[in-house]
Amino acid sequence: MPGQRSAVLFAWILLVPALIYVCAIVVYPLLQTINLSFTDASLRRTTDYIGWENYARIFDAEFATIIGRTFLWTFLSVALKMIIGTCGALLLNAALPGRSLFRLMTMPPWIVPMAIGIFMWGWMYNGQFGMISGLLQRFGIVDGPIAFLAYGNTAFWATIVTDVWIGVPMVTMYMLAAVQTVPQDLHEAAWTDGASRLYRIRRITLPMILPAAITMSMISLISTFNSFDPIWILTQGGPSGSTTTMIIDTYSTALGSKRFGEGAARAVVICLFLSAFALLYFRAVTQLSKRMST
Amino acid sequence: MTKTLLRSGAAILALSAAAPAMAQEISMIVCGDEMDPIQQKYIDQWESENEGWTVAPEVVGWGQCQDKVTTLAVAGTPVGIAYVGSRTLKEFAEFGLIEPIPMTEKEKASYYPNVVDTVTYQGEQWGVPVAFSTKAFYWNKGLFEEAGLDPETPPTTWEEVIADAKAVTENTDSAGFGLVAKTFDNTVHQFLHWVYTNNGKVVDDEGNIVLDSPQNLAALQAYKDLVPYSEEGPTAYEQNEVRAIFLDGGVAMMHAAVSTVQRLEDTDIDWGVANLPLGPDAEGPGTLLITDSLAVFSGSGYEDKAMDLAKYITAPGPQEEYDLSYGLTPLRPSDNIDALVEENPYWKPFIDGIEYGGPEPLFTDYRGFQNIMIEMVQSVVTGQAEPAEALSKADAALKELD
Repeated sequence: MPGQRSAVLFAWILLVPALIYVCAIVVYPLLQTINLSFTDASLRRTTDYIGWENYARIFDAEFATIIGRTFLWTFLSVALKMIIGTCGALLLNAALPGRSLFRLMTMPPWIVPMAIGIFMWGWMYNGQFGMISGLLQRFGIVDGPIAFLAYGNTAFWATIVTDVWIGVPMVTMYMLAAVQTVPQDLHEAAWTDGASRLYRIRRITLPMILPAAITMSMISLISTFNSFDPIWILTQGGPSGSTTTMIIDTYSTALGSKRFGEGAARAVVICLFLSAFALLYFRAVTQLSKRMST
Repeated sequence: MTKTLLRSGAAILALSAAAPAMAQEISMIVCGDEMDPIQQKYIDQWESENEGWTVAPEVVGWGQCQDKVTTLAVAGTPVGIAYVGSRTLKEFAEFGLIEPIPMTEKEKASYYPNVVDTVTYQGEQWGVPVAFSTKAFYWNKGLFEEAGLDPETPPTTWEEVIADAKAVTENTDSAGFGLVAKTFDNTVHQFLHWVYTNNGKVVDDEGNIVLDSPQNLAALQAYKDLVPYSEEGPTAYEQNEVRAIFLDGGVAMMHAAVSTVQRLEDTDIDWGVANLPLGPDAEGPGTLLITDSLAVFSGSGYEDKAMDLAKYITAPGPQEEYDLSYGLTPLRPSDNIDALVEENPYWKPFIDGIEYGGPEPLFTDYRGFQNIMIEMVQSVVTGQAEPAEALSKADAALKELD
């Protein structure tokens, strides 16, 4: 067994740089945040430990509303990204003329710097000068200007649409790669048997790309749950808190109001939610791989 | 060997003794895109008068400036002197991050009335004002004429503003008044114009929260009354966006700073500027007084020298040169300012309002104050709450915050 022991030791030696790196950029800040969440840290030079007080304070009715809103916002955004992205991938994989051009056309949201893209959407939503309101008026759909960011419901949807615009290219490209791994001979066999295009997508393509879809959903879920820029730039969480999600609330508390301890507690709650998502993801992937191997 | 050691020790001691005589550097953070040449000129002058001292200004963009100053202070590596919004002075002071900068009676008297209040907390001054902004009332004469109003007669009371806004909305394609209610800091500023033109206050002289007052209720009611005659969806617009609508002829009236004059001169709009219209309890023209200050941070080891520098570059002469070159509302009266007003009468309302103007209220958690005020304004503008209810709720929230 000495040979096996030295192999294990060698593996650990190889892992050490990565472990140090992970500890430095993930574990240490996380432990510090947890530690901070039990203090009254603010601009004051001294901090005191206050136990669970920060956690008790954040679990009020308002925070519960924010959690609910965050889940709804995330669910709608991820669902739209996955649906649009998957449909886009299927279309881009089809033998259409100019397919390369269409693939290129999915990229602008990625190429344009995010902040600039969001500002552009901000202008499009503008009631006085915005393109959307202008077109709706020109086609006689509405009588006067509509400021989409002025009302709770429209602002909520406007931020989702912008987030979807930002996220769709990644989903599309990832799902396109997954679609391209589906063996062509399966399609040809089904086509020979008289299966329609829709039937082949439903019974061959979608089941084959399901693991990739789960992985993509999880990546998208985590990034969307923490999506800050579209909301902050467009609405800063308003009007009347209608677009305030957990990440916006955490930022406002920690950096806006300089209540670092309370902000850290909110960040820990976000971390717990995301860990739960990750756990669900790993369970789903494990079950799926078991099912596929049988 | 012993001699060598002794010589080395003596050399080290000599170097240590000489260290204080070497040039000491005052670190300074300036917010903006570039170092202002006028301030640089006076910094150079101060350096030549203070041998052995140099100033190292670092220019930081507006977006990160406040955060950088705060982070350095909290981390225990404070900058010597920094440009900050005066509204942050209380929180810095309460947490012991900055030094009081006492002003003599003569120094205080040199400023326009109420200006020193913007940097005063618990009877002490915590910064030296370095930039000043006031607002006045702009109107579009062409739209007034189109609406059947006298284009040369701006409204002087809230009642008249609402009536004129109604006339413009009903008789032209434009909205009457540019109302600001976005989730943005200047929504609070705009509402405070109404507070300070009706003898209202948010915090009284003893530091008590007095938001829920008849004067402020009238202000919030006026805000609500203007909603039907404002641009569609005021909760989507901040001050500069409303200004863009005004410059496009989309609204006939607004509250804005003097810098708008230059923008208007690039348009075909026939415009006028006047004192902010007054509420029923006003005692005279008012406006919100916003200043930025130079604050001296604790722990640098050269606080006194930093204070000296702050006062030097904001002394009447240098400050006036700076104000005039940038078109800022002047901080102090002088013959030159009188001449400026005579030459450019549009300056008058921006100075008239100072007399009964008021500061941005100082809160330890200014962002918390801002959020409460924005929520109050938005709830009224969107019709979710009546002014009395919203005011009372905000008053209670501010008391809890304080």
